[in-house]
Amino acid sequence: MRVGAELLKAEGLVRRYAMRRGMFGRSVELRAVDGVSLTIERGRTLGLVGESGCGKSTTGRLVLGMETPDAGSVAFDGRPVPPPGTAAWRALRARMQMVFQDPLGALDRRLPIGVQVAEPLDIHGIGARSERAARVESLLLAVGLRADQGARYPHELSGGQRQRAVLARALATDPALLVCDEPISALDVSIQAQVMNLLVDLQERFGMGMLFVSHDLRAVRQVSHRVAVMYLGRIVEEGEPDAVLQDPAHPYARALVAAIPHPGRSGRRTVLQGDPPNPADRPSGCAFHPRCPVASARCTQDAPTLKRRPDGRMIACHVAQGDAAPGRGVLAEAA
Amino acid sequence: MLRFLAFRLARAALTIAMVVTFAFIVLRMSGDPAQIIMGADAPPEAVDAFRTAWGLDRPLWEQYFHYFGAILSGDLGRSMRDGRDAIVLVAERIPATLALTIPALLIKVGIGVPAGIYAALHRNSLADRIVMVIAVAGFTVPSFVLGLILVLVFAVQLGWLPSGGQESWRHAILPIITLGVGGAAVLARFTRSAMLEVLGQPFIRTASAKGVPWRMVVTNHALPNAAIPTVTIIGFMVGSLIAGAVVVESVFSWPGVGRLLVVAVSNRDLAVVQCILLLVACTMVVANLVVDLLYGLLDPRLRSAPRQATA
Amino acid sequence: MPEAPLTVAAPATAAPPRPARAGPPPMVLFGFGWLALMLAVALLADVVSPYAYTALDLRNRLSPPIGFGGAWLHPLGTDELGRDVLARLIYSIRTSLLIAFGATIIGALVGTSLGFLAAHFRGLVEQAVMALVDFSASIPFLILALAVLAFFGNSMVLLICLLGLHAWERYARIARGLALSAGAQGYAAAVRQLGATPWRLYGRHVLPNIASTLIVSMTLAFPEIILLESGLSFLGLGVQPPATSLGSMVGYGREYLTRAPWILLAPAITIVLTTLSVSLIGDWLRDRLDPTLR
Repeated sequence: MRVGAELLKAEGLVRRYAMRRGMFGRSVELRAVDGVSLTIERGRTLGLVGESGCGKSTTGRLVLGMETPDAGSVAFDGRPVPPPGTAAWRALRARMQMVFQDPLGALDRRLPIGVQVAEPLDIHGIGARSERAARVESLLLAVGLRADQGARYPHELSGGQRQRAVLARALATDPALLVCDEPISALDVSIQAQVMNLLVDLQERFGMGMLFVSHDLRAVRQVSHRVAVMYLGRIVEEGEPDAVLQDPAHPYARALVAAIPHPGRSGRRTVLQGDPPNPADRPSGCAFHPRCPVASARCTQDAPTLKRRPDGRMIACHVAQGDAAPGRGVLAEAA
Repeated sequence: MLRFLAFRLARAALTIAMVVTFAFIVLRMSGDPAQIIMGADAPPEAVDAFRTAWGLDRPLWEQYFHYFGAILSGDLGRSMRDGRDAIVLVAERIPATLALTIPALLIKVGIGVPAGIYAALHRNSLADRIVMVIAVAGFTVPSFVLGLILVLVFAVQLGWLPSGGQESWRHAILPIITLGVGGAAVLARFTRSAMLEVLGQPFIRTASAKGVPWRMVVTNHALPNAAIPTVTIIGFMVGSLIAGAVVVESVFSWPGVGRLLVVAVSNRDLAVVQCILLLVACTMVVANLVVDLLYGLLDPRLRSAPRQATA
Repeated sequence: MPEAPLTVAAPATAAPPRPARAGPPPMVLFGFGWLALMLAVALLADVVSPYAYTALDLRNRLSPPIGFGGAWLHPLGTDELGRDVLARLIYSIRTSLLIAFGATIIGALVGTSLGFLAAHFRGLVEQAVMALVDFSASIPFLILALAVLAFFGNSMVLLICLLGLHAWERYARIARGLALSAGAQGYAAAVRQLGATPWRLYGRHVLPNIASTLIVSMTLAFPEIILLESGLSFLGLGVQPPATSLGSMVGYGREYLTRAPWILLAPAITIVLTTLSVSLIGDWLRDRLDPTLR
């Protein structure tokens, strides 16, 4: 149970969806996740960041085994995750849990919070019935709720309190892995920081490994030990959060960092050009090349692979890897 | 549009195939079909001959395809009462039924739709209340009760109209009214709620907020949108033209398809019942198909696929 | 309830409190009143009925109801065999309500289960269920019912089961749609990933959450089933003698339309008032509980 030991290893995950255009159109293959490999360590957090539609939530579901990948594998504790819906898969849920974006939607609005926090104990038969009440109470206290709030219904709590309740439910079975899918984006800005601090505290206390999925680079930095940047179903850069934020290597990561509002900074910001990515219509070569300010001819042909730099940073970019001279971007060259 | 048409045609064919399968299963489950179709007192050699002819001595799946083939070639069996082809027997009755159901359909659409639109546009007015009361009454009063009350009043008490039979056009008046009033009530209620739903949509408020005259908002925006659910119901009514008068034909002793069906059911004349079932299924499916194509005209979104994909 | 110790303050079955609203309008109150009366009559038929429904009173044949020259002996008059119309009406109410309740519950059970199956397994199961839904939505139910009766003959159990298939496709559509939407984003996906079995997921979470919509659909289907049963019985193809139902009473009374209209009018009025009451209640419940349902 050493902190930092490998907990979950995903290799070459691919998830395709058949998407039909309109009601009766031809079906188009959509690669939501296109060859993602990642490792989550015990007691550590991997941040996964990218625009909406880049496949980061799908990656989260694949990691949890809620969907079966079309290619690639997920190993949890060195063993492959069983197919979803099987008894073995259900039993494994006690060890891997999820926190959702919309806490109101994730809670059954007909049941009091306490009952829902106790539900995982009930499902997995953890503890004697008489002990469960005490367990629920300590869970509620651990996430910063009062014990008496267990009798409340979801709609009687505030957004932040609901997310705390969802966290309490997720932690009930003392899981080794917690996947948080945009856990703060539905919350008020003032509440976001509280919930993130809570996540950090809970990780110190319970020692679970986390996958923190978000579109918010700053939030990811605050909770993560490593961060991976995703673009159109692939990881394009991975490294230490502070290092990535201070010195992003991939042009897309640079654009993301530049987009963070910065007090006191003025002047020009790198703004992404071109259309937002559409996974059904994947560009050739490097998927980012149509929007890339430094794309060269090679980038339009050849997809770069994720390679480790001497300082440990992983990057998938011909230009950053020094394999191609920086161009001026496809748009500029076409003009 | 072509894909749309092909898809709908396949769907329609599937539904018909399911009705045939349904008839096959029900026929097999209800006993020895040879005995049932030939009648209990048929000579054993005739039953055996029938068995061989219909392939009843072969495996079930083979029989199923055989049965399918026979129906596709128009062989729907003979009535066990007079030995005539079931399909001929049924076809003879169709004009009488249509003589009731087509005028009734005109009444339904001609009264029900305008009343529903009017009630929706004048919501909570006296007229709306009256329309709704009549509409609810039209739904809750079963057609045989309405028919018998009409007979009691107009035939028995007042003596204005005949109470049953099919001798002249005057005999058709009461059954047509009975059919039309109930359907008009259902249609009025449905049109009103479809219309109210559309009128509550944001695009209607936007249009009137932009200063589009109310009359234009109604005719250009509200009506076409409310038409979609209403057309579905009308399509169902068109589809049941042949068999929509079962009860009313019985009330007024009208010799149509419905009356034939009731008699066939009480005599367990299976060939005739099966023939009517298939006929009704076919008209219904064709009507649904037409409704689907009308959707395409009413709602351009369904006509061609949207260009951009939503990720 | 295994979680009982946790739920001291609020019972698990309590729905979230709703804002206080005015009581039901008078018409709906009337509906509830009438329905309660009908239920009481159906349950207490043996107690409240003045005679056995087959008892003959040959001296008082075709006697009119009180108010039309009849005596208190037979408050609603008698038929041509001297059978008491009130007694027959009471037993007919019992039969018709039994059939309607039984059929409504069967329809809801079958439809909801198939809807959940479709939502849970997706793929081929879902396609099959939806094809069945299309099939039964595209054939007028009366015709289908008549065909089955022709093939199988008649019995009370068959009749209830057959009418139970009426409107099953509505429940199936509703259950499938709501289970899918609960599974796509919401609480059902969350409960599933807690490791819950499908039984727990659908029985404990999805079903209670969609119960109000299902109940509204049942209230809307109930009068239709009463009408269907009475229509079939009127045609002589539903409830068979000696049993009697509201529809068969009307069908029987039709022979005496000119001489003794009360035989027909008493059950006819009962049918109309009962379907009206349940429809009013259903509309009111729909507006109150689930405005999304049409």
